Amino acid sequence: MGQLNSGITLFLSLLVEAMPFLLMGVAFSSILLFFVDERKLIAVLPRNPILAALAGSLVGFLFPVCECGNVPVARRLLMQGAPTAVAIGFLLAAPTVNPIVFWATWVAFRDQPEIVFLRLIFTLLIATTIAAIFSSQKDMRPFLQQNLARLMADPADSPAQAASDDGSMLLQSGTFLLQAPGKTLQLSAPAGQTLAMAGSMPKPFGDRLRLMVDNMILELRELGAVLIIGSAIAAFVQVAIPRELVLSLGQGPVTSILAMMILAWVVSICSTVDSFFALSFASTFTSGSLLAFLVFGPMIDLKNISLLLTVFKGRAILYLFVLAGQMVFALSLLMNLYWT
Amino acid sequence: MAVSSRSISRRKGSIPWSMVVDLLILGLWGAMLVRFWVTGQMALLLHPDYQWLAHLTAILLLGLAALRGRQIWQQVSQFSRLPPVITADSHISLLPRQISTSLLLAVAVFGLIYTPRPFTSDTALQRGITDTLTMTRSQPQRFTLNTNPEERTIIDWVRTLNVYPEPDAYAGKKADVAGFVIYPPGWSENYLMISRFVLTCCAADAYPVGLPVRLAEGQPRPRQDTWLQVQGQMTTDTLDGKRQLVIDASQVEEIPEPRNPYEY
Repeated sequence: MGQLNSGITLFLSLLVEAMPFLLMGVAFSSILLFFVDERKLIAVLPRNPILAALAGSLVGFLFPVCECGNVPVARRLLMQGAPTAVAIGFLLAAPTVNPIVFWATWVAFRDQPEIVFLRLIFTLLIATTIAAIFSSQKDMRPFLQQNLARLMADPADSPAQAASDDGSMLLQSGTFLLQAPGKTLQLSAPAGQTLAMAGSMPKPFGDRLRLMVDNMILELRELGAVLIIGSAIAAFVQVAIPRELVLSLGQGPVTSILAMMILAWVVSICSTVDSFFALSFASTFTSGSLLAFLVFGPMIDLKNISLLLTVFKGRAILYLFVLAGQMVFALSLLMNLYWT
Repeated sequence: MAVSSRSISRRKGSIPWSMVVDLLILGLWGAMLVRFWVTGQMALLLHPDYQWLAHLTAILLLGLAALRGRQIWQQVSQFSRLPPVITADSHISLLPRQISTSLLLAVAVFGLIYTPRPFTSDTALQRGITDTLTMTRSQPQRFTLNTNPEERTIIDWVRTLNVYPEPDAYAGKKADVAGFVIYPPGWSENYLMISRFVLTCCAADAYPVGLPVRLAEGQPRPRQDTWLQVQGQMTTDTLDGKRQLVIDASQVEEIPEPRNPYEY
């Protein structure tokens, strides 16, 4: 009975501590989705692959979205002509490298500041490297889902031009709606793409506000449910699995990292709240493995594979997964062996 | 995928049930947080530094619920007809809507009924009680030793021991601490551990600390998990094959469980 009570207290405490950060993340991502003009952003980003990769990784500071909100944003960035390096860097780093996640991690791990800072550094390092590797592929379209690839400009065109000029849309077949001078909206495209392309369409403030609130509630409902499942798993592992087993797994420099990476992949908890989840393992697992959890989870997990499949083909996701997994493992193993 | 599955009825005056469910979710979650807030049970779940975040969340959730309520009212009373809501493709479903909705509703209702209980000896034994703050645990940034020994709490004693671990240094000092009783396996009859859980963030990282207590001959053994005020003198004893600081109890008094059982 005592164990059950403890489990429930643990479960409720995770929810109550995580909910404010989830609400904050959802609110920011909704506000920025409707009030930031991505085209203007793309126009000022650097074109050099390495710099673009780094810039893309840092864009999270403008779009504090967690790993459920970042895929659609990355998708729109690609559609609007952002360099591949920017989109991939953003995709991998934005869920972690942003002020809300930094604050949440600080709240959870203020006693171990190295975890807070290394989480940022490792994520930036891995995201920039993978983005730079992917940018060596000149034409990304074979890696992308067909409906998205069709919408993208040919890389032979200047990407900057593709970003600023929608005129090329006129050469495609389909139904179009004339908007502002020189701008068209393709009505025959799937609704999502139409809306995404219409990102800069002026809307009355009241409508935007309503869209924002609706989007917030929608995300809150979905991410809240995932948070509940994640917290239940964390509470269950804490009280139901024998301590000797957890300790024997959690104290090995290699096994602890593997265990936490698998856990991160399965639990799929949102990056704004995953530090509280990790915190419940802080006394039994090595610091390196906690970092592996915090860095790897937001990049690739069970939940966002379905999201990634709306942008990439399976092969590209596999590359992302393998590259990210290897680098996270290597870096956190270094930390386990040489830091503590 | 882009057009929200939310089926807002376009007929005037009909009740938009999916919005009512949203209202219920937001309202019940807000109410659950308000309940923990006003009953003081929030202290069992969160470190005091972060309780304001949960309080603010309660207010914001209730505010969102009110917004939803207003939209429903507008629709039902035909003051205005809302166009169908479309969200940009910022959203791709992760879980079927029914599942996420039921989970959120179920947890909110549960949270409104269930009274959280503080952790007990089971959890302490599961997590491993220490009289040292190991490398994975908090390192105090500031430490002052000018408190009187009898004013030190269990965590103060443990921090003191961390700074200077030689138990003999404290022999003869007075101790007066409050905590709950644990009987660690393998200890002889007249020993117990007086313990507290320490929080740095929330109950998820609560870790137990404790000091061994030696009961006087013939003193009745308090039940496990009872809360005690223990007064006595510090002495050194060998437990678990290790020389340790032990409270030689002169007075043991049962006390009610404190409203806030944690130390920080």
